[in-house]
Amino acid sequence: MEAPIYYSKSEFIETDTGNKVSRRATIAGPQNIILGGKTIISSGAIIRGDLRQSRPGHAVVISLGRYCVVGEGCVMRPPYKTYRGTFNYYPMKIGDHVHVGAGSVVEAATIGNHVEIGKNCIIGKFVIIKDCAKIADNSIVPPNTVIPALSLFAGSPASFAEDLPESTQELVESQTKQFYQSFQPLDRDR
Amino acid sequence: MASSVLYHCPCLSTSPIPPPPHLPSSSHSFHPLHTLFFCEECDAVRCNRCVSVEVSGYYCPNCLFEVPSASVRAEKNRCARNCFMCPNCRNTLSVVPSDPPDAGDGRIVPISTVGEPPFFLYCSHCRWDSAEVGITFEKPTGLAAQLQKSEDSAPDSLEFERLKEHFEPLIRASSLSSSSSAVPSSAAHSHHLHSTSITAAASAALARDIPGVGKYNPLTRSGRGNKDRSANKDEMPDYKSRMDIITASKHGSGGGVTDIEFMSHLEKRSRCRYSRTAVGLQLGSIITEQPLRIPLHSKRSKRCPACTHILIKPEQKAQSVRYKIKLVAANYLPAITIALPHQVEKFGHASAEAAKRPYGKAAAPTEEEKEAMGGLVAGETYPFHLSLTNPLYDPIQVKLSVQRMHVAAPSSSDHSAAQEKARRPPFVVSLSTTPFSVAAFAEAWEYDDDDDILDDDELEARLSGREKEPKTKTKTVGVLEKRANVTIVGGEVMLRKEARGNVKFNMLVSYTYRSDDPSPEGNIGSPSKSKVPETKTFAFYTVVELGTIIPREESRIDIES
Repeated sequence: MEAPIYYSKSEFIETDTGNKVSRRATIAGPQNIILGGKTIISSGAIIRGDLRQSRPGHAVVISLGRYCVVGEGCVMRPPYKTYRGTFNYYPMKIGDHVHVGAGSVVEAATIGNHVEIGKNCIIGKFVIIKDCAKIADNSIVPPNTVIPALSLFAGSPASFAEDLPESTQELVESQTKQFYQSFQPLDRDR
Repeated sequence: MASSVLYHCPCLSTSPIPPPPHLPSSSHSFHPLHTLFFCEECDAVRCNRCVSVEVSGYYCPNCLFEVPSASVRAEKNRCARNCFMCPNCRNTLSVVPSDPPDAGDGRIVPISTVGEPPFFLYCSHCRWDSAEVGITFEKPTGLAAQLQKSEDSAPDSLEFERLKEHFEPLIRASSLSSSSSAVPSSAAHSHHLHSTSITAAASAALARDIPGVGKYNPLTRSGRGNKDRSANKDEMPDYKSRMDIITASKHGSGGGVTDIEFMSHLEKRSRCRYSRTAVGLQLGSIITEQPLRIPLHSKRSKRCPACTHILIKPEQKAQSVRYKIKLVAANYLPAITIALPHQVEKFGHASAEAAKRPYGKAAAPTEEEKEAMGGLVAGETYPFHLSLTNPLYDPIQVKLSVQRMHVAAPSSSDHSAAQEKARRPPFVVSLSTTPFSVAAFAEAWEYDDDDDILDDDELEARLSGREKEPKTKTKTVGVLEKRANVTIVGGEVMLRKEARGNVKFNMLVSYTYRSDDPSPEGNIGSPSKSKVPETKTFAFYTVVELGTIIPREESRIDIES
């Protein structure tokens, strides 16, 4: 008995695999972005698929798994650095069942499965977030931080706060599935 | 306050009945379902407060290296690789090279692949760097080994080594005696004994005479019974520190003027240093200004406190989230969620309104909005829905009963309790006490939401053969809906006019399930399937919170807006 979250049908584009992408989101370089299916890109989100490695040929810049949510006004930007004197962007890989709260900026290198990122967080460049980790709202995760599995990080700079329960994986999985179920289009005649 | 259902773990009290929900102790004995464990041997719920915990492996939270437990102690529970923490902000430090030399024409010439020495540790959060305290490295690798020497020769670590050396024989003796004398009942028990003998020794050492410090005599020392037996165990030579504070230091002994001079000197030094680096910090941080090694984390296995059976056993790999053994309550007890239909309707309506607006946001209302909309107004009656999800592969029969608010009052009904006006319950909950069934969990339903073709409701209806009852407005109490392994039960709460506070009540849930255990006598001889399946009943308490009551005057404004 979850309250459905309605969206206007005209705003979202639904793909064959169930991805729902807002027309009000800024998707740059869509050919370099992979959505795993049943992933929601909320309005106002910015996904920079155009910031790709300066190698010729096709490159995946940002890949998201299944049942992910990119919240409103989020910025997903691949990390960059100058290595051996050359400036380069590096791909960002995000697993399944990952929710990113509204207003967060993500420049992580890798985000595992079943990860929750709160609202208004800043995830620095080349951050690695392992499976089932959670970032509390309004946290600042400095660049190059590693967040181990099943841990809650909070604060500025984000530091280990507590261990998450053993059943986090099942919990997050059911929550993300439920969110997708409750995210329903609103028919105009209602 | 959002509505919630929490589960009781009886570990804090001797009685199986939980404290009434209005007492502060209530919140200590109730936990969310997903944090609880279930011991199959004892047939009981266990929580994080009562399980016994043991470390099954150590790892560094930064480099994720699994540290063998043999070397953990030698490395002082810290990462011995290249992981360092900023002494200012506790962020992890990174190794950075110096700026490459300028070629003259403004172009930067990269010299080597790794960068230009000297290298130093840099904090990307507060911009502290190790060059500030004079620590630089020739190579960007093996920093720990490069730092080891200076760390080992630091006076505090030398002092600690000495202390350890001093206590070592004592600990060995006491652990030997405790392990030989302890009854081999359980691992947890002997561990307990061990630690107490150490703490006893430590407190004895602390209680020794120190010149200038008043003698402290702990009660445990004088009150110990077997004095003669443990006398030689606790006997130990006085500890002499490496540096005697009183004689070795020329400051502090004289006191007065020399101390003040020394302090003002320190202050001056710190001020000129920080004016240069433009970081205003307290004096105290000077002492700890060294890159800190990152403390290790551990993976833990958990045991039932009563029968010591393992409830949680993680996989060896540090970053694996799988478990070899995982007996969590969510796999045994039905999951109960609560919803207030009037809130659900309002939220749905609100988000629909938002979606209709041309530039509105199609989002769930924020927590504050929810609270304002879905409040419970005093004097009104609200229906609520409890949905029970069965995790077992067999159907269960569930019986719900609401615990009376005031256990102490010898009243049989709410009417007689009403006589004492002060103790009158602020609300009355009506819930059907007739048992109902919740269908078995089957994997097939798991695929529902992975299926893209069919409408979910349609599919579910087809799978479970559900006949959806026609929604009659009158029926609010009793079984409302059954689908898959979920049954939704309706209840009603009537708030009194003068009611205040939170609507919170204890609810006893008892369920009957078919037992998988074969009956102890002669199952081998009679493999007949006609045998009546054995049933077992398990009961547990929950606390159901519906929300905060809005007093009548305020509520009017809410309705109008």
